[in-house]
Amino acid sequence: MVVGIKDGIKLIGISIVCFCAVFVCTFMLNYYLDVLPLEETLTDSAMTALYNAQLATAKFTSVITGGVLAAIALIMLFFYIKLYIDSHSQQLGIVKAFGYSRGKIAGSFWVFGLSVFIGCALGFCIGWAFMRSIYDDLTIEGMGEIAINFHWELLALLVFIPTTVFTALACLYAYCALRRPVLQLLKGKSERISARKEKERKERPFIWQMCIKTLSSKKSLVFFVAFSCFCFSAMVQMGLSMENLTSATMGYMILLIGLILAIVTMFMAITTLINGNKKNISVMKAFGYSIKECSLSILGGYAPFALLGFGLGSVYQYGLLKIMINVVFANVEIVPEYKFDVPVFFLTLALFAICYLALMLVYSFKINKISVKEVMIEN
Amino acid sequence: MIKAENVVKTYNSQEVLKGISLEIYDGEFVVILGASGSGKSTLLSILSGLEKADGGHIECNGVCLDALKDDQLTAFRKEQIGFIFQQYYLLSHLNVEDNVKLGANLANNKDYRQIIEAVGLKDKLKSKPSALSGGEQQRVCIARALAKNPKILFLDEPTGALDEVTGREVLDYISKLQKERGFTVVMVTHNVNIADMAEKVVKMNSGKIVEIYQNSARKSAYEIGW
Repeated sequence: MVVGIKDGIKLIGISIVCFCAVFVCTFMLNYYLDVLPLEETLTDSAMTALYNAQLATAKFTSVITGGVLAAIALIMLFFYIKLYIDSHSQQLGIVKAFGYSRGKIAGSFWVFGLSVFIGCALGFCIGWAFMRSIYDDLTIEGMGEIAINFHWELLALLVFIPTTVFTALACLYAYCALRRPVLQLLKGKSERISARKEKERKERPFIWQMCIKTLSSKKSLVFFVAFSCFCFSAMVQMGLSMENLTSATMGYMILLIGLILAIVTMFMAITTLINGNKKNISVMKAFGYSIKECSLSILGGYAPFALLGFGLGSVYQYGLLKIMINVVFANVEIVPEYKFDVPVFFLTLALFAICYLALMLVYSFKINKISVKEVMIEN
Repeated sequence: MIKAENVVKTYNSQEVLKGISLEIYDGEFVVILGASGSGKSTLLSILSGLEKADGGHIECNGVCLDALKDDQLTAFRKEQIGFIFQQYYLLSHLNVEDNVKLGANLANNKDYRQIIEAVGLKDKLKSKPSALSGGEQQRVCIARALAKNPKILFLDEPTGALDEVTGREVLDYISKLQKERGFTVVMVTHNVNIADMAEKVVKMNSGKIVEIYQNSARKSAYEIGW
């Protein structure tokens, strides 16, 4: 009753992250389960080594992709719930004031699990649609065509269990977040600033002050901006530099997943940021601040974290591929040596700079469209 | 009956309520009158169990509020209290009927449509709050509060956001329904004229009660000044 079904299914960011995770895990784990019984048929030691490496790759990729993306989806889910509670605090407050228990209100947050279900179910179906071509790509020469079998346990593991777990966690998180007193929900949080901070604040230029204020009021977005750039950097570099390690299809798939994750996360973060600062932007514009100054005050503070995310992504992809080669392909002689791909790094950096600046430009236009009148009418 | 004895409340080391003592009897229409910052809304929050006092004793229909934990206060409000605020706090994604059901469900009240009819919104059952005027939205709030059959109705500046015509209309609904159903009304306002509608008036200033008086005759919403 308190949270509408629409609120639950519009979390497209979570759906996309879940989609990517389940899409990769579906064909990797299905391949793993279908190939596992074929070990006894192998006689050649070189082929056995390659076979073991393929199995390890499938397991490793599923665990890393599934684990990391599930963690990201969970953080996103908690972020959305917190955002929902903050933006609907008055409505939730009145429901609590009327006498609805915290448990009952938190129970209505089950709808947030719907976005997880949509993403997982779609990922599973699309994963199946690509299964044959992925199998052909992964199968070692000489092993013949591997039959595709449907594994019910994977459907449960990749669709129903994540949906149930995420739904339960959504309710639990909401239960904890709704611990706030009724009056605080009705009237919103009041901020107390220490005398020292107040003095420091007065000494800073206004735009700089706004930058810090925006950053501190939306701390969780720092994570999403950095994560988006991390995805861009890691997945694009990985996709472009592993042509000697895997097939071109896998490389393109990694590249595509990286771009989707980066774009969706960045879009979600900046849209949230701008929507949450509409009033500030409109007042600044009304007072005569330029679009450049408005953009800088809202978006500028996140730029260092975007660069940090990019740097971490570069280190991560190098480390991950190095570990894969040293550990997974340890017994396979034909795997070439892997080195940090400097040209690909600079190419990705250039692409990153272009995309980031283009995105900031697009959002500057969006900021330009915000009018004082529109914000006044909304209130 | 509500009984407050020597109630004290402090925010950020500023004493907002300075030893309030007050008695409100069942079925009474009480107006708490005061200027902004006089502590009247804080008193309403404490009397209704929305927040706890820092000192003193509050008893409401035999329940000692100062001893209750947060969950127990929620259960107490569910059983006994209805609220109407200046800001309507309607659930924007629910229509009029569902907003009223929000209150009715708590009391297992299946006859909530009668209340919607009583506040004149029979034709707006399926309308969303955004499609209603301020007065209509406040009438939904009245229906929502009354649908849970409260023993005490707390109102915080219910006409603060309304024009004179709509304000009188809303007060008239509240007054009529109170007479019909016999619940206690505790209304906070800064409007001196509205005090003429009450049986008992509690005047507050700087966190203290400065005067309590009974009106010899209650005026209707259309007889008071504005």
